[in-house]
Amino acid sequence: MSVRVLSHTADSGIEATAASFGGLVGELLRGMFSLIASPEPCAATRWIAVHVDSQSREDLVVDVLSELLYHSEVEDLLFCDFEVVVGPRDGSVDVRAGGIPFDAVDVSGPPIKAVTYHGLVVEQREEWYARVYFDV
Amino acid sequence: MRQTGGMEMVRVSDVRWDIPVTGGMRVPGRIFASDALMEHVDSEEAARQVMNVAHLPGIVEASFAMPDIHWGYGFPIGGVAATAVAAGGVVSPGGVGFDICCGVRLLASVFSEAEVLSRRQELMDGLARAIPRGVGRGSIAPAALMPDVLARGAVAALEAGYGVPGDLARCEEHGTTQGADPAAISAHALERGRHQLGSLGAGNHFLEIQVVGEVHDPDAAAAFGLAEGMVVVMVHCGSRGLGHQTCTDQLRTMGAAMQRHGISVPDRQLACVPVESKEGRSYLAAMSASANFAWANRHILADATRKVFAETFGVSVEGTGMRLIYDVAHNLAKLETHEVDGLPTLLCVHRKGATRAFGPGWPELADDIRPIGQPVLVPGSMGTASWVLRGMSENPAFASAAHGAGRLMSRTMARRRSPGRVVREELETAGIAVSTGSVKLLAEEAPYAYKDVDEVIDVCHRAGLAAPVARLRPLGVVKG
Repeated sequence: MSVRVLSHTADSGIEATAASFGGLVGELLRGMFSLIASPEPCAATRWIAVHVDSQSREDLVVDVLSELLYHSEVEDLLFCDFEVVVGPRDGSVDVRAGGIPFDAVDVSGPPIKAVTYHGLVVEQREEWYARVYFDV
Repeated sequence: MRQTGGMEMVRVSDVRWDIPVTGGMRVPGRIFASDALMEHVDSEEAARQVMNVAHLPGIVEASFAMPDIHWGYGFPIGGVAATAVAAGGVVSPGGVGFDICCGVRLLASVFSEAEVLSRRQELMDGLARAIPRGVGRGSIAPAALMPDVLARGAVAALEAGYGVPGDLARCEEHGTTQGADPAAISAHALERGRHQLGSLGAGNHFLEIQVVGEVHDPDAAAAFGLAEGMVVVMVHCGSRGLGHQTCTDQLRTMGAAMQRHGISVPDRQLACVPVESKEGRSYLAAMSASANFAWANRHILADATRKVFAETFGVSVEGTGMRLIYDVAHNLAKLETHEVDGLPTLLCVHRKGATRAFGPGWPELADDIRPIGQPVLVPGSMGTASWVLRGMSENPAFASAAHGAGRLMSRTMARRRSPGRVVREELETAGIAVSTGSVKLLAEEAPYAYKDVDEVIDVCHRAGLAAPVARLRPLGVVKG
């Protein structure tokens, strides 16, 4: 997983790299949920599917992370396995996310309240790169 | 004068630093901090965020920072900014935060420290069973109560059988934020919140049994209902997933609307629109409904706490004497009238990790405390003191004060310094019982991760923000 946890006084952040934009979204999802717990192996027992449309890659990153965060809380699942398909011109994304019930998980980080726009970066360098901060 | 990250800061007094207007700033920055606290400001991004907030359209007087200031996202934590509504001033969800109406409730009691220590384990076990906390579901109140709670806050919870009537008079806004529109809450937010009404959450949220250790202002303490040696209970939590989702939803909408209003800001998390715009009114209506959830949440948790004490000590709920001292929010935007350039002016006052601190005589205060000023509740970190203060006349930051000790280090650094089980052992050695859903997470909230709360309180006093009334010492803490 090409994700690094960033230091922030009040909250948590991650930065990720990947060869493709879709790969980047997958790394960000894995990175976000790994802040809460990292079950090894990820033996997902339930799967959900989400579709997100957004106006820009930055918005798409925030929106898809937020949508999975919503499902995590409502379904009481720690997601750890992701299949990501990005739509034309990176304007949408379909995600299949597999998760484990929270009561079967060893939680190692605080719950994430929300994805923030603070310091948000999504850009193509030699690889695709993103930085996202979360409110915990 | 000092330089921090390329920013100039001018010393105005031993507890006030101003950042002069540069670039797109509309007002100066103003940080209330001692030299010791300024060392922490220097080491991170908080001062930059004070400057960024100064760009908000309609902002008046200054972009303020309380003594517990630290790096946030958009607004600094401990940030206060007021915008003039009639002059196109904006409302910014980032100036409230995702945990809308996060705040603190303090209950009195008839019990002494010796009485509580003799039954402490029983109390802690009872609270651990009665107070839903941590990650995942679990709540005291049924989802069916939600629509009424969103509209009427703690009043709805009271009428549903939780708490006592006296709880409303001593709650900020009497437990109901006016102007709430439950229809402004999205389906996602409703779904996140429906199984969380009457739950503590996790992270830095807690329920703590404390004792009044030192009374610094006997008249104010007596008016508030506090006495040295009295056991009190402090609850810190907010609007849970409902509030978090509401802020997420509103930020998304507001980002698109900003362009139509011709507004640009240095940080997307400072997205904002004029208060008197369709989007502004929609945000305030949704924020108010979320605030009502939070008032009701703390009201319900207080009710559960009283019942645990009553059962443990074999008395009636009334017999516990656990009346409400006060309940304050520290993440909220309020429409308040303050004097600006000598004229009464309607302002949208954003307090992000900052507490309202009305001074003596303020009409919104209950009759019995109006001559004294509003109680201001400042929790310290786990294992250190918390404080009760009172609002002061001539507060220099639109009746605002600090909300906590303020974090000193990131969660990652805190975990690296010490494992959770060592933090727990140290707290227990210091005589503080701990009940937590996750020992690992304790390190993130360890005392060393926070600033010196006594220093923060001292600066509040010297800066004219709020005056100390009583220092509270922890006996037991319940965390998610």
